[in-house]
Amino acid sequence: MTFTGLPLATLLQIGALAGAAVVAFYILKLRRRPVAVPYSRIWERILRDKEATSLFTQLKRLLSLLLQLALLALLLLALGDPRAATSLVEGRNVVVLVDASASMKAIDVAPTRLDAAKDEVKRMVRGLGGSDRMLVAQMDAAATPLSTLTSEVSELEGALAQVAASDGTADLARGLRFAADTLRGLPSPEIVVVSDGALGPAVDSSGTVDLGDIKLSFVPVGKSARNAAITGFSVRRYPLDKSRYEVMLEVQNTSEEAMDVELSLLGDGQVTDVTRLSLAPKEKLPRFYPNLSGASRTLEAKLALADGGGDDLPADDRAYALLPERRRARIQVVSRGNMYLEAALLLDEYLDVTVVSPEQYPGRGAFDVTIFDAVTPNVAPQSGGLLYLHPTGTNVPFEVGKEVLDDDPNYRLGFDELDAKHPIIRYTSLSDVNIARANPIKADKDDKVVGKSFKGPLLVAGRRSGVKFVALGFDIRDSDLPLRIAWPMLLLNTINDFVEEDTSYISSFRTGSVWQIPASSAAQNARLELPDGSQRTVPIKDGRAVFLGQHAGFYKLTTGEPGAPGGEESHMFAANLSDFEESSIAPRPTLEVDKRVAGSVSGFTIGVRREIWIYLLAAVLLITAVEWFTYHRRLTV
Amino acid sequence: MGVLDLLKRAASPLSSQLGGRLGAGRGRRGDEADLFDEEFQRKLDYLALVSRRVFSGAMRAERRTKKTGSGVEFADHRDYASGDDFRYLDWSAFQRFDRLLVRLYEEEEDLSIYFIVDNSSSMGFGDGAKLRHAKRLCAALAYVGLANLDRIAIVTATDEISGRMPSTRGKARIFRVFRFLQGQQAEGHTDLGEAMKTFAAQHKRRGLAVLLSDLYDPAGFERGINVLRYAKFDPFVLHIVDPADAKPDLRGDVRVYDCETGDEREVTVTAKVLERYGQAYNEYLDEVRRFCTQRQVSYFRADVDVPFDELILRVFRRGGFLR
Repeated sequence: MTFTGLPLATLLQIGALAGAAVVAFYILKLRRRPVAVPYSRIWERILRDKEATSLFTQLKRLLSLLLQLALLALLLLALGDPRAATSLVEGRNVVVLVDASASMKAIDVAPTRLDAAKDEVKRMVRGLGGSDRMLVAQMDAAATPLSTLTSEVSELEGALAQVAASDGTADLARGLRFAADTLRGLPSPEIVVVSDGALGPAVDSSGTVDLGDIKLSFVPVGKSARNAAITGFSVRRYPLDKSRYEVMLEVQNTSEEAMDVELSLLGDGQVTDVTRLSLAPKEKLPRFYPNLSGASRTLEAKLALADGGGDDLPADDRAYALLPERRRARIQVVSRGNMYLEAALLLDEYLDVTVVSPEQYPGRGAFDVTIFDAVTPNVAPQSGGLLYLHPTGTNVPFEVGKEVLDDDPNYRLGFDELDAKHPIIRYTSLSDVNIARANPIKADKDDKVVGKSFKGPLLVAGRRSGVKFVALGFDIRDSDLPLRIAWPMLLLNTINDFVEEDTSYISSFRTGSVWQIPASSAAQNARLELPDGSQRTVPIKDGRAVFLGQHAGFYKLTTGEPGAPGGEESHMFAANLSDFEESSIAPRPTLEVDKRVAGSVSGFTIGVRREIWIYLLAAVLLITAVEWFTYHRRLTV
Repeated sequence: MGVLDLLKRAASPLSSQLGGRLGAGRGRRGDEADLFDEEFQRKLDYLALVSRRVFSGAMRAERRTKKTGSGVEFADHRDYASGDDFRYLDWSAFQRFDRLLVRLYEEEEDLSIYFIVDNSSSMGFGDGAKLRHAKRLCAALAYVGLANLDRIAIVTATDEISGRMPSTRGKARIFRVFRFLQGQQAEGHTDLGEAMKTFAAQHKRRGLAVLLSDLYDPAGFERGINVLRYAKFDPFVLHIVDPADAKPDLRGDVRVYDCETGDEREVTVTAKVLERYGQAYNEYLDEVRRFCTQRQVSYFRADVDVPFDELILRVFRRGGFLR
């Protein structure tokens, strides 16, 4: 037994003083009030009867004194905060990382793995030593501390109750770095990871996490691995027929046993297709739904076992996607007349083209895209994305070089280098375009040079103050580009890129990562409605709302205000887990970080609770209550 | 107009003296003055009248005392007690009942009535109700005695004879009785045995000895009564009882001490203890009554909360004082 409160010497001093006081008060208590009576012999008769019990009375009085001294001793012991030597672990600082990734929603441990993990942590909290401190943090894509580093059981249990599973993956490296930073400089540091082990290596951009001398413990949860998941779900419209679309689904059996599953595809809640699939162990099965048409906006895929039951992880049995919205893009052409340009714009029926002369610019209304054909006026508000064709003036957001001519017999002037992956030149072939004269564009370091000749960049894409622009450094009439199919493709790709409606549309985001959602360039913030109906305000940076998404489902992003210029705009998007690693729910019995295997937790023994003083105080209260009761019932007087 | 009014007129100096006392002061002094107020005196007249009606035709010296051997009219038997004259043993009764019984004869004589008023501290305990009650009873009975032409004397007793009013006769002496009683205070220890020995030695003429006392005698109440019996007095015990004594207002840890002897006892008073005290007190009263009954000593319990005139009438009805 060790005293972790007041030292023993102090306790003895206090005990001596207080004991003397108790005895003194006890003696004082025995001095009785004198009362005259007319005839004491009658009293003597009663007291003579009581002689037989006088010994018991004396004993009761002695017992009363002993009781008070016992109460004092109990109080002093409580002040001393005694601990059993076996349960005494001095001053640990523990950070508990509770895995809240999607795999923790698995129901192989009733009710869920996360609840089992919480129970484990709760046992640890109740087994904390007196000078131990603990911090509970939720570990998903981020590490979120839910309590302070404290020894308060109520605060820790409250924090534990706040832990909620997400639909994302857990970032072990981030969690460990957070825990290590928290424990830096503290004595007896310890990190406890409570997880099913589907965490991946503890490596991030800074390298492997080095925990130094921090003790790492691991509490495994989970017992089964039976799961099939939708690991991929995307949809796109056909580039040349945007009224039709195709869907790609990828289903995977992550367990070691074969499964028969039923895959359903729903459009706006209505079943579009149901397919039965047999999945071999670990088999990945892609499935295409080509040439779909219809007015459906939301798509949802559901996976169920063929026998009607469910697997161990329902969270990855659903996936969501949204078809890119088809709306008419408003195009403003500022030109003195360009037949090739106007003809190309006629190819897409979803374009509303307004042609204005440079003197009439800006035209009335708001536009998604403005094409400046060899003119560079001051850019008016609500001009949308800017496409500069052969900019020559100085009133441009970039620098235009001197005119170069195709005058070198050895080198043809054209696109010598192309960024083939850039969306605006998708499906085009520009490498053999002949150009008679051009003005190379000097791009900033943040700009993207899409096409470049040996005399300088000729096709540049970039962003200024959140407004996208694309600049073509020559007049198309001074080249054979208008005669090629690449010209209308380049033009339409550029317009699609501006209005975020290109064929590379992201039909769904992946949970557990930072999303950059296209948004109005003018706004600073946007309102994001989550699948559960709650709303968040998210910042907009460079025309994209930034949000760390944790939950699968449909989201709605709204920018602007109803009464504000430009009005309120909103659009929806979907988010899915789509992670094979997270769907592989086979529990891992060990955790390895930097070639170091985490040990099992120890020193959290329930029952040998640190607060013996609580029980001592409870005993004091109980004895006092008994004394009070017996006194008032005149049993001890 | 009552007899007392006439007497009061005749003895106007005394009466005015009394009246002055009646009106003087408040509290205890006022209580003493109120002790024998006009209301009390009217009741005395009534009681004297009642006693006459009951014993009509009785003239002086018609009172009879139970004296063994000196009379001729057999009255009663009683158990033999040590000290009794063997000559009065009823041997034929012994043969029949196998009990030693003494023959009692009634003897007519000019009876002396002695009032022995206990004025120890216990009689004045609390608000002094017991002593006041004793004084009133004494005065009333004395008046009845005086009205019946008996010779009365009053003594006050503690552990000695602390006060004495010599024998007197005639109703006109009642104010002397009042004055004597009003002058008595409660103080001193009770030792009725010693006091009665002194009394018996000082009073050779035997007669009725009316003992008005709470009988709180540390040496035992029996001694005083026995001394009277052995000295051939005819004891009449008027036991003054204050019911408040049976229910003391005590609670908790106290040190009780006797108001006379100062003897201390520590006691923790609980409801249960109070209940047992009440039982012990009643047992004590029963003990006194049983003792007197067994020895054919006239006993009468006089609770202080019962009006004195009602008590006197009860005494008349019970007999033993007037015959």
